Amino acid sequence: MIKKEMIYRNPLVNLGYDNEDILPVGGFGAVLAHAGVGKTALLVQLALNGMLRENSIMHVSLNDAVSKVDLWYQELFHDIAEKFGIAEINEYWDKIQPYRFIMTFKVEGFSAPKLEERLTDLMEQNIFKPHTVIIDGYKFDDAGRGQLVQLKELAQKYSMCLWFTVHTHRHEPPQENGLPLSFLHVADLFDVIVQLATRGEEVYIKSLKGKSNASAKNDLLLDPETMLIKTGN
Amino acid sequence: MKFDDQKIRNIGISAHIDSGKTTLTERILYYTKRIHAIHDVKGKDGVGATMDSMELEKERGITIASAATYCEWKGHEVNIIDTPGHVDFTIEVERSLRVLDGAILVLCAVGGVQSQSITVDRQMKRYKVPCIAFINKCDRSGANPFRVISQLRTKLGHNAVAMQIPIGLENNLQGVVDLVGMKALYFDGDNGEIIREADIPSDLLDEARAKREELIDAASLFSDDLTEAILEEREISSDLVYAALRKGALQREITPVYMGSAYKNKGVQPMLDGVTYLLPCPSEIENVAIDMDNNEETTVLSNDPDKPIVALVFKLEDGQYGQLTYIRVYQGTLAKGSTIVNVRTGKKVKVGRVVRMHADQMEDVEYLHAGYIGALFGIECSSGDTFTSPEVNLTMISMYVPKPVISLAIVPKDNKSQVAMAKALNRFAKEDPTFKTFVDNETGDTIIEGMGELHLDIYVERMRREYGADVTTGNPRVAYRETITQRAEFNYTHKKQTGGAGQFGRVAGFLEPISDAEFVFENKIFGGAIPTQYIAACEKGFKQSMAKGPKLEFPVTGVKVVINDGASHAVDSSDMAFQAAARGAFKEAYLRAKPVIHEPIMKVVVETPAEFQGPVMGLLNQRRGMIIGSQDEDVMCVIEAQVPLAEMFGFSTILRSATQGKAQFTMEFAIYRQVPQSIAEKIALEAAQNKKSAA
Repeated sequence: MIKKEMIYRNPLVNLGYDNEDILPVGGFGAVLAHAGVGKTALLVQLALNGMLRENSIMHVSLNDAVSKVDLWYQELFHDIAEKFGIAEINEYWDKIQPYRFIMTFKVEGFSAPKLEERLTDLMEQNIFKPHTVIIDGYKFDDAGRGQLVQLKELAQKYSMCLWFTVHTHRHEPPQENGLPLSFLHVADLFDVIVQLATRGEEVYIKSLKGKSNASAKNDLLLDPETMLIKTGN
Repeated sequence: MKFDDQKIRNIGISAHIDSGKTTLTERILYYTKRIHAIHDVKGKDGVGATMDSMELEKERGITIASAATYCEWKGHEVNIIDTPGHVDFTIEVERSLRVLDGAILVLCAVGGVQSQSITVDRQMKRYKVPCIAFINKCDRSGANPFRVISQLRTKLGHNAVAMQIPIGLENNLQGVVDLVGMKALYFDGDNGEIIREADIPSDLLDEARAKREELIDAASLFSDDLTEAILEEREISSDLVYAALRKGALQREITPVYMGSAYKNKGVQPMLDGVTYLLPCPSEIENVAIDMDNNEETTVLSNDPDKPIVALVFKLEDGQYGQLTYIRVYQGTLAKGSTIVNVRTGKKVKVGRVVRMHADQMEDVEYLHAGYIGALFGIECSSGDTFTSPEVNLTMISMYVPKPVISLAIVPKDNKSQVAMAKALNRFAKEDPTFKTFVDNETGDTIIEGMGELHLDIYVERMRREYGADVTTGNPRVAYRETITQRAEFNYTHKKQTGGAGQFGRVAGFLEPISDAEFVFENKIFGGAIPTQYIAACEKGFKQSMAKGPKLEFPVTGVKVVINDGASHAVDSSDMAFQAAARGAFKEAYLRAKPVIHEPIMKVVVETPAEFQGPVMGLLNQRRGMIIGSQDEDVMCVIEAQVPLAEMFGFSTILRSATQGKAQFTMEFAIYRQVPQSIAEKIALEAAQNKKSAA
């Protein structure tokens, strides 16, 4: 039931990305937003969705400690599942938790070779093989294209898809295609780009690239608590 | 009588194992002239640090029991509780925090915020203890106090601000710059006892100015006067800054950070100044008690020494002169000869000797005022008991005590050891609420229970050394539990006719799983199918069944029992008959309710050099561990996992050999979780064998 609820309210599928995984194998996805709008929450939601479908998710955070990332997952999962019994929630949580691995680096300590080193440690010992990697807090302004190309190669080598959060600045007006200037030099590496924006108290999600179902809605209202589609939307 | 407690500080020193808190305490005692020589932990002189009073602690170089001590610094009376660093002993840390008004969080300038610091910090939050931080070991290679400050902010969420900057670091640590007074402090003399003030070295002036600005900015949030002074560009006095910082620190909104090296005798005295300037006096902390005569309402205690006494026993120790009871007075004055009542037992006692403790030496005093920590002699009580004046019936809020997760059978070698063991166990159980002991009815073995392998090891060792009890220990046993996973109905009749009065009782209803309580009993009988006077007997019968599950005889938890029908007999029904009927009904429904075994899962945090990350993860994985995540921190890496306790025996040895002794780990109970089928079968087999051998 929890699984059904999450899939039903998944904003990306409802936005017209009809493949359940949204990204192709080796593909890149990006969630763009200003600080504090809910990039991490949306990706955690995406991760929970994957975990419920028994896909292994590696969450790489360049900002937060393991315990804080873990808290994101627990809070969001409990928010969605609140209408279910506590026993069912706990049972489900125990069931899906092994499909998640949190890895944190300091921004300056993170690199594609380092991630590969850690990944091989895990894969060689059969501890964890990610289907999707979420990279939260990557500094697109500072990093050149080279590092992302390396990450793309890594994604293809290990058949993973990678999602990134992209922090956009309020002082930077978007270009014609809706993308910020600081992101343009790498935009072609991305298969899917979505943007989160606020209008007053409300949060909207909008597709900027990669939508396969053109007739689907162009933007959707999200519940800022859960980052799922607001019921009755 | 008005009693001024402004100059009293009750503080604790809490930190990660090996971050040097015992050394720091030793230096504090030296500078406050409580001791006249310095002995280091694991020191060459073989004396050991003064606070490590137990022989065992001296040998292992760790602090196990908190020793309370008192000293004076610049006209302030400071009571210090030294607390243990290992998670297995956190009950000691928690008990200390309960009686403290403030704390010094000691952090290592190299290791930074480690897993134990996080646990200790959580405990401080729980008891709302204001704190200042001391970044120790700035003389070590790799020391970086500002990295630690940033970790305090990111990992623990503290609004940490530097009160000082170091003059030199690592081998070259010379002193500190005081950012409030804007002067350099050097520590001269053989043991750093002479503080020399000087101008700030010119190469540090810019950094000092920038950091002072940060400090004043942070402090200004708590003081309008300070903000005004900044805006009007007036000279900012030290008093103004300290007053603002103190306000923030007391609300736990700011954490002032001192730094230095206790071992190299640098930076300890300014931190002591910080204790007096920034940590609260007893009357600034609100303490509450439960009023047993008034519907258990909470009541705020007053620090008034003339009011009725309320005091909490937070530690017992068996010394050479008998039982020593460490006590904190929250209200009134506890004087020699006064009569007090143990609220738990209702027993009245007369106070004999009152002492103040200095590690394992003591000093007789006439009385202890509200706000003071001291010790009493010849008082029979347990840790956590509240003593009050006879006219009130207040109890301090009970402290959170986790349930034991591991047990061990111990067998004395001879009669003499048996007597000594009994004495020791009685003492330990009184001292430490997480340590339990009982005799297994089936095997006749004496079982001890506790919070981890090391916890029990230490007690067995103490039994041998302090009490001369020669005991052998069995394999550690995990505290498994049973629970049900689905609803099952029962309808059971207990009927016995063996001459004389018979026994008759029928109970019907159902069992169902619950997750937020151990046992719930609900009576839904209407129309008197079971007469009201037998309902309590039914509940008792079900409760008895919970002690030993019909599946593998582990305690059962998480069961709701609902009775909705039954029958009785005018002559043959009795309490006994309904108890037996309830036990029978439980047994009947239990196996149909799909029982499963739950095992304790521990939160294990390993800190290892990054090059061993792979092997450490492998080790955890082999132990059925679920790795929650890994955190890369320059050369070190922290791995957090959940691992069944059953798989953690001997882990420290294996970890040491896999990482050339460079990794360390902490472990604490996290949750009970269902055992996988294959393991459950193994446990069932072992349980059957145990039963067989016991028979």
